[in-house]
Amino acid sequence: MIRFEMTELTESERALQAEVRAFLAAELPRGSFTPALGMNAAKDPVFSQKLGARGWLGMNLPTRYGGHDRSAVDRFVVTEELLRWGAPVGHHWVADRQTGAVLARYGTEEQKQRFLPLICSGELSFSIGMSEPDSGSDLASISTKATRDGNGWVLEGTKIWTTWANVNDYFVVLCRTTPADQVTDRRQGLSQLIVDLRGRGVTAIPIPFIDGTDDFCEVVLDEVFVPDDLVLGEIGAGWTQNTSELAFERGGPDRWLSTYLIVEEFLRLQRGALGESARRVLGDAVANYWLLHNLSLSVARSIDKGGAPSTEAALVKEMGTRFEQDILNAVLELVDFEPNTNNSSLFNRLLMSATMTAPSFTIRGGTNEVLRSIAAKGLQLSGGGR
Amino acid sequence: MSAANADRPSASESGGDGVRGRSPRAGIGESVDSLLIETAERLFAATCTFDAVEAAEGTRWAPTIWSAVAEAGFPWVSVPESAGGSGGSLFDVAALVRSAGGHAAPIPLAETGMLAGWLLASAGLELPDGPATVVPDPSALKLTDGRVVGSAVVAWASAADRIVALVNDRGVTSVISLRPDQVTITPGANMAGEPRDNVSVDVAVDDVEIAVAPAGVDGRELLRRGSLSRMLLSAGAIEAMAQLAVDYTATRRQFGKPVAAFQAVQQHLVVAAQCSVRASMAADLAGRAVARGTYGIDVAAARVIVDDAAVLATRAVHQAHGAMGVTREYPLHHLSRRLWAWRHEYQRADLWRDELVGVDAYGLFPLITA
Repeated sequence: MIRFEMTELTESERALQAEVRAFLAAELPRGSFTPALGMNAAKDPVFSQKLGARGWLGMNLPTRYGGHDRSAVDRFVVTEELLRWGAPVGHHWVADRQTGAVLARYGTEEQKQRFLPLICSGELSFSIGMSEPDSGSDLASISTKATRDGNGWVLEGTKIWTTWANVNDYFVVLCRTTPADQVTDRRQGLSQLIVDLRGRGVTAIPIPFIDGTDDFCEVVLDEVFVPDDLVLGEIGAGWTQNTSELAFERGGPDRWLSTYLIVEEFLRLQRGALGESARRVLGDAVANYWLLHNLSLSVARSIDKGGAPSTEAALVKEMGTRFEQDILNAVLELVDFEPNTNNSSLFNRLLMSATMTAPSFTIRGGTNEVLRSIAAKGLQLSGGGR
Repeated sequence: MSAANADRPSASESGGDGVRGRSPRAGIGESVDSLLIETAERLFAATCTFDAVEAAEGTRWAPTIWSAVAEAGFPWVSVPESAGGSGGSLFDVAALVRSAGGHAAPIPLAETGMLAGWLLASAGLELPDGPATVVPDPSALKLTDGRVVGSAVVAWASAADRIVALVNDRGVTSVISLRPDQVTITPGANMAGEPRDNVSVDVAVDDVEIAVAPAGVDGRELLRRGSLSRMLLSAGAIEAMAQLAVDYTATRRQFGKPVAAFQAVQQHLVVAAQCSVRASMAADLAGRAVARGTYGIDVAAARVIVDDAAVLATRAVHQAHGAMGVTREYPLHHLSRRLWAWRHEYQRADLWRDELVGVDAYGLFPLITA
């Protein structure tokens, strides 16, 4: 049976944690900004660039491309602090979490020199071009296609649920470069192209999100020319590259901290001793946060030791996202007011936003159903014995 | 009385033939020799067969299993060799207890060394040759008018050479070591058929072995260690039942294919694996805290996690097994009945949860990540 190895932060990792805490307390004092619910954060390029200047973006990327060659645990420490503070991580989020890593792994020398330094400085922003109107969990069924044309490819299709496609710089588009009827396996013939979101033929149209925000987009690709130098990795290897991209984004603290501020605000507003129900909710919350912190930390440490904890990451994401929803609901049962727009308190606004966006926690980055299938396969393959 | 203690193999020697003769381990390391774990797994697998565990419920004692485990020195691991133990660290004994939990070993492994042995050695009292046990409730026995009086439910009391307890008298905590003839034992059992006997005590304090407990050895610490022992046993049992579910659903065929091919069944496997991962991590962290004596919220938080995992894992694993799992012919009940019983011992999770609240809003995150 699968087991996570217990670990703990080293002295230097503790020092980094303290440094980030001090930075956030000084840069974004509580009360001075509207904190975000985890990775659903505001986009603040200036803040992202401050993080970049501190060396807290592209931490795992090579120094020769502006990165810092730091460990996965170091990145975990910084990310955990940013998320629990509700910091505006939106601008750099996708680039720092996954695009940078995929570029570093599969990109050409020229692409690395062109994109990575700007990702590490917090200047460049990326979106994710995976889902389509008819392809969500079944990514191999995508119909966006690229046709060979001179020194590049012409893209045709529609991507959807693309956060900040209307304001970001680029997105990595998963597309079909060999028609599905010409391959033996649907996972063949897929490729990844880097597409300029402001380029010709690219139209990003916001789709109002369930809570009324407008960073969710549909992106129409109408005869978009992508030169060969923006092909990411190998033509035809898109499935493998894309799968590794998904593995990078799972198992991190973003999968269990989305509603952390709800708990913190609830506690902050308490007057007097907690009642019996509140004690129960809070005790469970503390135990679960403590555990998830240690599980995520273990995954990061395993990556640093050269492991490939993809089953572990899927297990953490599946349970972490369910916990984010459960703890929100538990707190909602304790509040003594009706969340509505007549109340301007931060707690009220966070509760409304969290309630409305919570269904997305267990969908984004792979639905929990898909994660369970991945994890079950991992368990079955790992064989018997302990 | 315990001259035989000198012959006990040390923890380092019990790692199997390959390490016999090596110098005894210092007992302060935090890593566990993988050979020790392998040896334990092999020994428990060989001795705690389905039939042996089943039979132990009827006979209330499994002498063959006990002798094999005692011969390896396992019950006394983490008790210093100078005090008659097998040496080794708390990390070592934690690995053994977890392994015992995974095999539903029907013996007082945790009671003898990491609980009773710890108390006896701390207070400078002698360890018995055979099994020992402990009164789990630190306030069950009172010292009044020169007599030790009280009663408690005690694991494996009827099999123990010694029943060890804490007594508190006007702020002074002492360890007492009671002989079976000094107490009255009424046999009982928990849901898993493990002996949980009622022990009633009324004996003159001058007639019992008693010594003042050193600093750090008190009721709170006994509850922590006792709770840790249940978490380790439970983590082992949850891990074993999760694997049982994976194996069973891969071979059981319905509708023309293994039931593990159905997504609805896979979801039970995932829940069971998550419970296993959660319980193991929680028990590991609690063990590290106890070994280091640095208590934050680890022991309390771990208990909340483990008890929750025990409930969810038994539910998921039983469901994955269908009717097969609810018969006594199939080994699952050896694990599930133990998990249901252990969650009630050394304070239920509800009381441990109380240690987790009380922090203010801005202290919350530092507490979680301490």
